[in-house]
Amino acid sequence: MRCRLVALILLAFSVISTGGPAVSQDTSKPPEVKGLFLLTDYPAISVRPGTTATVSLRMQNYAMAPERLQISVSGVPQSWNATVVGGGQPIEAVLPATNASVSFELRLDIPKDAPMGATNLTVTAKGANTVTLPIVVTLVKDLPAKLTLTPALPELRGNSRSTFEYQLTIKNESGKRIVANLAATAPQNFDVSFTEQYGSQELNAVPLDAGQSKDVKLKVRPPNTIGVGTQKVTARATAEDAVVTAELGLEITGTPKIDLAGREGRLNATAVAGQETSVVVIVANTGTAAAEAVEMSGSGPSGWKVEAEPKVIDRIPPNENKEVTFKITPTGKAVAGDYVTSIRASARGESASQTFRVAVATSSQWGLIGMGIIAVALAVLFGAVMKFGRR
Amino acid sequence: MQREGSPWRGLGVVTQKELSDHLSSARMLVIQLLVVVTGVVIVLVSLQQIRDITAEDPFLLLRVFTRSGEQLSFVFVMTLLVPLLAIGLGFDLVNSEHNQRTLSRILSQPIYRDALLFGKFLAGLATIAISLTAMWMVVIGLALSALGVPPNGEELARAALMLVVTIAYAGVWLALAMLFSVLFRSPATAALCALGLWLFVSILWPLLSGHLVNVLFPPSATTADALLNSLSMHQAFRRLSPGALFAEIVTVLLDPAMRSTQQSQLAAMGLALVEPGSIPGAPLPLLESVLIIWPQMVGLIGGSIVLFVIGYVVFQRQEVRA
Repeated sequence: MRCRLVALILLAFSVISTGGPAVSQDTSKPPEVKGLFLLTDYPAISVRPGTTATVSLRMQNYAMAPERLQISVSGVPQSWNATVVGGGQPIEAVLPATNASVSFELRLDIPKDAPMGATNLTVTAKGANTVTLPIVVTLVKDLPAKLTLTPALPELRGNSRSTFEYQLTIKNESGKRIVANLAATAPQNFDVSFTEQYGSQELNAVPLDAGQSKDVKLKVRPPNTIGVGTQKVTARATAEDAVVTAELGLEITGTPKIDLAGREGRLNATAVAGQETSVVVIVANTGTAAAEAVEMSGSGPSGWKVEAEPKVIDRIPPNENKEVTFKITPTGKAVAGDYVTSIRASARGESASQTFRVAVATSSQWGLIGMGIIAVALAVLFGAVMKFGRR
Repeated sequence: MQREGSPWRGLGVVTQKELSDHLSSARMLVIQLLVVVTGVVIVLVSLQQIRDITAEDPFLLLRVFTRSGEQLSFVFVMTLLVPLLAIGLGFDLVNSEHNQRTLSRILSQPIYRDALLFGKFLAGLATIAISLTAMWMVVIGLALSALGVPPNGEELARAALMLVVTIAYAGVWLALAMLFSVLFRSPATAALCALGLWLFVSILWPLLSGHLVNVLFPPSATTADALLNSLSMHQAFRRLSPGALFAEIVTVLLDPAMRSTQQSQLAAMGLALVEPGSIPGAPLPLLESVLIIWPQMVGLIGGSIVLFVIGYVVFQRQEVRA
């Protein structure tokens, strides 16, 4: 009983170490097949002349005693060079243990001028039992590298300040490992870069194993000055002689951008305490879309009145400007000096503000009253001279 | 009975004679020396201080007048000494003529009393103006050579206006001294009265008025408004002294950043007048500074006219033929 348990554990280890689909099998039961097998995943392959083809082979032993097997390949054309390689070096024989397999490969160096057509090879493992495996190698003219490039969302929308990010899936549909070069053509002044899907490293090329696919991201940044419209970007992947392109569209909606400035760039004004002064402000839309319903407002120190005329501008088309008159009334008690008032323009998410330096002068009314008092004093002097003078 | 002719006839002669008497008198020389030397010494001290600590200042020249070296600023010394100059000139203008029995001799000439009194006042004022202008020029010259910074027009205008205000301030005291010289026959009495008043107004009143206000209107500086109110009450009482008016005018004139006459008082209490939204320290144009202290200037000019008129009326009604 105990011996059997140890044997079972050993068996389980041997199955796991050989890997492959056997792992998922029920290991408590020995496999029902019995014997020695020479196996390969693809017994018929297509190869281009002038390349080296590799055929993966496996010598499988099911419930047989370990046995030495001599490996030989027959049917190889004269000009070809066939080598059996195992563990990185040429081998002559294999020895699979019970319920174990030995992997090795057949390397075929096919000359450039080999004639097209199918060639039948036979791999023979010769021991007490002899096992053979026929392999068909078909020489074809060319096996084109094949790629597909699929955008997840080919049309994106945003304003001139957004970054457009396209998710692209690139797939190697050929039977070999390739390195795909990535490129994109975009209108002038667009900034284009490929990055990993999660990461910021920019890429120029991705290596792809046969049949493997990879997600990459294409970032497109349009120039800030671009107007409203649809733009086309072409993403391209090239590998050897395969070229695949994907057409991507970006619709730019445009944004308004509001700038405030004084007339002739002046940002100061003079005002008299308690009296209204008009300041003309130029509201410019330097964005790419019209600014709608631009609300003008202003604020000054407490007690000041800052009013815009008009309060709301219905619409400012791009690259145009409108004049707004701000009526600034300092409080009547304002002390002479320089004050800060700020004015603001806001249109749905876009706003601009500017500060004005207002130099407040006090009313000269009291100056005149002072003059009057001096005049009265002089009149008194004159009256005294008239009344008491000339003695 | 009204007599005929212009009351101003002979004004020029009297003014000229008085002016030449003043300028050649030993008393005048002593008083002038006192004022000029004091002023120059104080400016030299403040110049040294400015050179030591001022890095950059757009109104460097004006700082010469206000910066206090050794506790005394030029302005403060002027506030005290200018009245002394005016009293020294004016206390015996009329009564010395009485005492030397020259008054009836002058008035027997075709000169009215009007012309005599006006001439004496104008000559006194001119004497003071000459000495103050000389001192002002010396100060500016010293400042220019010591600081090496050319003054701008605004600075010069402010300094010149300060000179004018100083002369007006001297005018108040001259008119007062002349009033006393008309009222009292003895020059000593007139001089003592004038000097007593000067002492009271210049030194005692600033101390006394503060206590008086505190007794009459107990201070309740709990809010900013109450504090400002009590400050303006203090100011109102202190302004009875011409020296206080002069000090306020000169403080605002010589510091373009000064927006209110209360600013320096608040600064002395460790406070600052911060108006919301205002840019502190921004210099005011000259006209605005003048508008702030215009009432005080009116007070000085009007005060000297009124004092002169009182003296004039009293003089006209006096018997001079004794």
